[in-house]
Amino acid sequence: MRDSYDAIIVGAGHNGLTLGAYLARSGLEVLVLERRHEEGGGLCTEELTLSGFLHNVHANYHTFVDLAPPVHDLDVRGHGVEYVRPEVQMASIYGDGTALTVHTDLDKTCASIARFSEEDAETFRRLYVEAHGYVDLLLSTLMYQPPMSVKELTRALATFGVEDRSEFLSVKLRRETINQFLDQHFTHPKVKAHLAFHGAVCAYTNDVPGLAIGFPLLVGKIDNWHLCIGGSHRLAHALWRDLAQHGGVMVSDADVRAILVDGNRAVGVRLADGTEVVARKLVASTVSVEQTFLEFLEPSTVPEELRGRIKNDVKHKDWTLFSVHLAMSTLPEYSAAEFDPDVNRAWVVNLGYGSLEELNADFAAARAGQLPEPKPNAAVNSLYDPTDAPPGCATGLLRQFAPFAIAGGGEGEWESLGRWYGHRCIEAWRSHAPNLTDDVILDWVPYTPLEIAQKFPNMVRGDWMMGEVSLANMLDQRPLPELGQYRTPVEALYMAGSTQHPHGFITFAPAYNALQVIAEDLGIDTWWRQV
Amino acid sequence: MADIYTPDWYEEVRDAMNARVATMKDPPGGELQIKVEIYGDGVSPYVAEGSERHFLVRIEEGHCAWYREVEGDDPAVKLDYRFRGSGNTFDEIAAGLEDPITAALHGTVKVRGDMRFLMRQAEHVKVLLEAYATGVQTSWPLGRPPYAATQEEAVRA
Ligand SMILES: Cc1cc2nc3c(=O)[nH]c(=O)nc-3n(C[C@H](O)[C@H](O)[C@H](O)COP(=O)(O)OP(=O)(O)OC[C@H]3O[C@@H](n4cnc5c(N)ncnc54)[C@H](O)[C@@H]3O)c2cc1C
Repeated sequence: MRDSYDAIIVGAGHNGLTLGAYLARSGLEVLVLERRHEEGGGLCTEELTLSGFLHNVHANYHTFVDLAPPVHDLDVRGHGVEYVRPEVQMASIYGDGTALTVHTDLDKTCASIARFSEEDAETFRRLYVEAHGYVDLLLSTLMYQPPMSVKELTRALATFGVEDRSEFLSVKLRRETINQFLDQHFTHPKVKAHLAFHGAVCAYTNDVPGLAIGFPLLVGKIDNWHLCIGGSHRLAHALWRDLAQHGGVMVSDADVRAILVDGNRAVGVRLADGTEVVARKLVASTVSVEQTFLEFLEPSTVPEELRGRIKNDVKHKDWTLFSVHLAMSTLPEYSAAEFDPDVNRAWVVNLGYGSLEELNADFAAARAGQLPEPKPNAAVNSLYDPTDAPPGCATGLLRQFAPFAIAGGGEGEWESLGRWYGHRCIEAWRSHAPNLTDDVILDWVPYTPLEIAQKFPNMVRGDWMMGEVSLANMLDQRPLPELGQYRTPVEALYMAGSTQHPHGFITFAPAYNALQVIAEDLGIDTWWRQV
Repeated sequence: MADIYTPDWYEEVRDAMNARVATMKDPPGGELQIKVEIYGDGVSPYVAEGSERHFLVRIEEGHCAWYREVEGDDPAVKLDYRFRGSGNTFDEIAAGLEDPITAALHGTVKVRGDMRFLMRQAEHVKVLLEAYATGVQTSWPLGRPPYAATQEEAVRA
């Protein structure tokens, strides 16, 4: 590490690496600083259980592959990333042994839905076809460019008469919940539950007003879930390789503690060991707003009002994820395979949510700090990735919607509850897949919300989206209006991580959008904008 | 009345666009270059299957300065937008049978470029598209969509 660079980026998650790689390709001298021992942030794959079992500790589902411009611009496949798009993407298994499966083949998905409701199958087909038609357009309008305001968007949609030209997109969705959307268009509780479950796994909670506006977009890419062969960390490695190939440097074990300001301009950073590095052109933070503005910057350099708003107004996700990682000597065989054999090939399985009310109740419980009766979702990557476990074995991943702080005891309670709750999640899985007896589960570990926050201090209160996902906290309002365009009140300091529009997830979008703003400010040639 | 995709037709489209823009209160400033790419789909008789026809449109101060047919991509030409769709889709749009906004919304015409600017100029974009779709009397020497079955029928049509 030298003592000065053009650009210093705090955090080597996929957003930090992506921004770094673009800037390095643009000829800037780039330094990306990461407090952990490796790059990747949420793209983290570890042998948490036994040797040879690869567990994606955070990001498992890559749903923006081939939709996000950086996947092509940075040639991640050329750097060794191999994706598979599982044929049976998802399933819901209901309490009565029936099941619904979502396939990459639309006809098969509709046939599965038709077993519950032919009308819903037809509606789903129309919704999918419509949404699939505009998914590119909406993504390039809403996600892969610095955000407009809701007002501007609404005005444009009205001018183009989108409402008259679309069955499902409508301006009024900006006030509605996904539940309302589903109630208006679908009839069968299990079909609605599956679609709401899919939204929730994407962090779009079904009972939050305004999120209905994003729901057609979610459906447009409902079959675009990809698995990164060899573990999600491969993508991090590819991004790092791209950065390095273009002269950028990533330094791990580099815990940033301060952003240095001269006048009102960000001019460098200080690490925990006291090392100072000069930033000649910019500093970009991909960590939390709390870290950036309340910890890294001297109070005198941040407007008092902004400090207050960060303390009081920044909203975090009000539920998080409890995970169980398993090493198994066999694949699950579901009882519901009698109803639909394809459930045994489904990559991601909702174990039990059969109505919107059940989802509502569990999110209400999680918000109140209570542990829901487990209905985890199960992912078996080994079904589609033969490299992620020793021959004949399989990895398993259970994820349960859960609170960060437990009522009465706080988040510290997870220390003692983790194994107990993990065991209950496994029991819930076993109730649907009876072959998963103790002897085929070779090892398992819980991964609690507390551990999320400990591993990644930027995920404040286990907030896996680094900011509430709601319409009020999207577009140019995220995370606060004065920070909504990736610039900050401190000159040459940018926000480029998941705190920004659109939100968390492996979207690459916050970094890509921050890049547009940085390019404008610095006069960088926008070689990546290939019209 | 000009034949579709001939220089006379582009002139008429341009005039139709500009006549409508002239009625706008506040057309946007600046310059834009838009490429329209039409690929042969085996349905349109105007673009042979496997081939493509490319058109370049230049907008200056909200008005269409020129509209011409070009060969492929010229690296020297900086594009702001690219609209791409099949021959049949574009023929139907020019015949007023397909609505261009619906075509973009349904993905039958793919739009690339700065969507934020496009959304902010929605009024202007709509005016230009409407002029393209409905502002010109077009003649169809090889048949009008849904096309005549034979060349003779086309000539008769
Ligand atoms: C349990 C769980 C499951 C998830 N599942 C999925 C999924 O299946 N699919 C999906 O798309 N997303 C998933 N996510 C969300 C996803 O992981 C995040 O949205 C994504 O990682 C955000 O990327 P980022 O680059 O913005 O931030 P991060 O990936 O968090 O990267 C930020 C980096 O900054 C580093 N950092 C923090 N503080 C400092 C400091 N002081 N100095 C230097 N570096 C610092 C961190 O160590 C981290 O490496 C999941 C998250 C969790 C918690």
